[in-house]
Amino acid sequence: MRNSILGLCGLLAFVSQLSQAAFSLPDYEKLTLENGLTVYLMQQDEVPLISLHMVSKAGAINDGQHNGLASLSAAAFGFGSGKHSKNEVEDLLAFHGAELNTDVNLEYTSAKLSIASKDTATLLPLFRDYVLKPQFDSAEFEKAKTRHINLLKQNREQPRQIINSAFNQLYYRDHPYGSPLEGEVKTVQEIKLEQLKAFHKQFYSANNSALIVVGDFNEGEIKKQITQLFSAWHSGDTSSPKLNHFKAPDSAKVWLIDKGDARETTFMLGGKGIPANHPDSVALHVINTILGARFTSWLNDELRVNSGLTYGARSRFYSQSHTGSFAISTFTKKESTFEAVDLALKTYHRLWETGIDEKTLASAKAYVKGQFPPRYETSEQLAVALSRTWSLGLEDTMINNFQADVDALDLSKTKKLIDLYFPRDQLQLVLVGDAELIRDQAKTYGALKESSIEDF
Amino acid sequence: MKKLFGLLSCLFFSLPTNAVTQLDDVKSFTLNNGMTILVLEDHSIPNANMYLFWKVGSRNEYPGITGLSHFFEHMMFNGSKKYGPKQFDRVMEAAGGANNAYTTENITAYTDWFPSSALETIFDLEADRIAHLSIDAAMVESERGVVTSERSTGLENSNFRKLHEEVKGTAFRAHPYSWGVIGHQSDIDNWSQQDLESYYKTYYAPNNALVVIAGDVTLPQVKKLAKQYFEPIPAQPEPRKVHTVEPEQLGERRVYVQKPSVSSANILMGFHTPSTQHKDYYPLAMLAAILGEGESSRLYRSLVDQQQLATQVFTYLPESFDPNLFYIYATAAGETQSTALERAMITEINDIIENGVEEKALTKIKNIAQVDFHRTLSTINGKADTLGTYALFFGGHGKMFTAIEDMEKVSVADIQRVAAKYLVKSNRTVGVLAAQKDSAIGDL
Repeated sequence: MRNSILGLCGLLAFVSQLSQAAFSLPDYEKLTLENGLTVYLMQQDEVPLISLHMVSKAGAINDGQHNGLASLSAAAFGFGSGKHSKNEVEDLLAFHGAELNTDVNLEYTSAKLSIASKDTATLLPLFRDYVLKPQFDSAEFEKAKTRHINLLKQNREQPRQIINSAFNQLYYRDHPYGSPLEGEVKTVQEIKLEQLKAFHKQFYSANNSALIVVGDFNEGEIKKQITQLFSAWHSGDTSSPKLNHFKAPDSAKVWLIDKGDARETTFMLGGKGIPANHPDSVALHVINTILGARFTSWLNDELRVNSGLTYGARSRFYSQSHTGSFAISTFTKKESTFEAVDLALKTYHRLWETGIDEKTLASAKAYVKGQFPPRYETSEQLAVALSRTWSLGLEDTMINNFQADVDALDLSKTKKLIDLYFPRDQLQLVLVGDAELIRDQAKTYGALKESSIEDF
Repeated sequence: MKKLFGLLSCLFFSLPTNAVTQLDDVKSFTLNNGMTILVLEDHSIPNANMYLFWKVGSRNEYPGITGLSHFFEHMMFNGSKKYGPKQFDRVMEAAGGANNAYTTENITAYTDWFPSSALETIFDLEADRIAHLSIDAAMVESERGVVTSERSTGLENSNFRKLHEEVKGTAFRAHPYSWGVIGHQSDIDNWSQQDLESYYKTYYAPNNALVVIAGDVTLPQVKKLAKQYFEPIPAQPEPRKVHTVEPEQLGERRVYVQKPSVSSANILMGFHTPSTQHKDYYPLAMLAAILGEGESSRLYRSLVDQQQLATQVFTYLPESFDPNLFYIYATAAGETQSTALERAMITEINDIIENGVEEKALTKIKNIAQVDFHRTLSTINGKADTLGTYALFFGGHGKMFTAIEDMEKVSVADIQRVAAKYLVKSNRTVGVLAAQKDSAIGDL
């Protein structure tokens, strides 16, 4: 494959939500049930399918001292629910060709169901039970926990699986945004079934959730069904940790993670970013496209095309409701580690040293506009967009004004935004590779700490 | 498992209120130089795509140039007569377009995604590189580094990739499916300018391509541009046929791979099976789904859920021009011994051979295929890719619309029959990847 580097950036939410052309969200209806549940209904009838997402403000930031708690709590939906055992639920869904997944983010969790429209009456009650009435079966809990731990151990085999989380931890330190989404082996081992029950009771409530329905449905019928099925869901008090007291690191740090049999070094470096609702998000997205978010970006051009050091290099903003980070990432054979790090830094500094020219800016503007409509093509994609908008308290205008925001960007504004929002120094660097080989030189980039990949 | 059934169609639940794509919506024409083009108009978003499938993959290589098909996939972006080095991507992106490409054992595919206003630019870019690619020596050297990094990062991050390469190499000793698509490193380091030029001339001929365009375009517009840009490119003699037939495997083959950093054993089994156009394809594809698709599948339920011997398991039956392999892959849970996991995998297979499957299991697979068909049709890229896949591997794009009908013909007896015929010991290659060294003092 020519370019499959997206795997390195599982955290592309910012990019996927904010690129746009002459596009605005299709019309939708937003209701609130008496118990506080928010309901979105958006008609899309190209194919007879419906996407139903139940989104709750229950993410890894709510883990407290028990990293992985939100993740295991979401897994508990699948332990069996209502009158059905785990296997019965799985069999029923599969028989109808339905797909049901959960996504745990830092600030929210989505239970996502995709069904054929004709199966709504059969599967909507099942979905209600899945989220509202998990059985918390203790045998299923033990199985899920063991499997979760085994999967975490397997992640250690792949630098790409751990580098995003490692960078988040280095950058955010003890702030809740530093919580590893899946937890760590040592914290998951200590989680008890009672904690899952308490987490579920506290965070999965009507007034802390939104039901998003996008697809080919009968409006009258689905409203009636939703009211019948979800009106009895409890409301509650939820308390989330304070998120607005983050201070970015004030000195450069390096985290070297040793993988003994590494044939290459995977690295990520960066610093402060922007919150998801930042008014200049779209403009910064355009600038980042030039730097590291398309094939002809400066980073990919220098590190891949000109030097052959890597298969791909990129940069991204990763934004949450209160703040965010920015990072550059790539990988290279272990012998060329610092050649690649230095070239990445040198290329990054072109933002200040040479700046962006008119032709490149025009190209990037055309690119982000041209690539925007396919990001909102399916019911599933629209449901994901509405989920994020609701969870992070964003405005629809961030999508609907995309083209205008792109068009409004000129060279002088570009320069101002680079000075204001791209972190120039005190950068945080994570290296995953053969520590013995790269330790000495790694120290020259900042205060060094070292771990083994086995610690994750 | 790869979503085999993402490709299949629906005959029963196409509601009249939906504008679900029908066979009649797909238009086809062939240029004078032999290039075939499929067009599917879809104006739901102001975008379109162009998928170019070239009938060249690692099966067309031989020792010395293994990996060349994939390398060529990279070289096609490195400059041609009108659009020099870097210009293909720069011009496309400045017009709002993006692209990617991939290579398999059978084909090389190039995918362009763009606002429909850029359609002519895309034709111009593609025509220039198809007709006039520059194979610049300095570019070749730089691209060797990129491909080496791609090879290395695949082996670093994917146990499947490593084990797959070894299992293929063991299951095939004659047919070119023997080597990985990425190729041997020594071939990546050493193929010559002459190898590249001859490969380009032979395989990048218009009569060796299928083009699919879906999205916000019109048929007359596409026809006009295709005649203007693609038709002047001359046809070439038919490439040499791949005539090597893999000799029948007469006993089990085994391969062990040591990788010190793995936390648990990985097992990949490969069973020789016929090509996609063989009558046993659908029974085998449905068997693959019954065994390994989703949490309700036989292998997942038994190995991951009930016995907790594995953390994941899947089956994979690639679409293929020549007879290929039916794969079953499992990752052991924690300290589970590979022998215990292997035994459990085989026990599930043997249960189907001995006792067959229930009718309900087949109904489930068909239901999944029907809903997945609509998922596929919900994007212009799903439409283009699937039309191309059916046209290339199933004998015509129309087969996409009769797939459920073809599945309806498969009986529970067929499932049992193909399991008994293909999923047997003498026909399998078993690969095990684990941390332990394979040598110790006192080895016999």
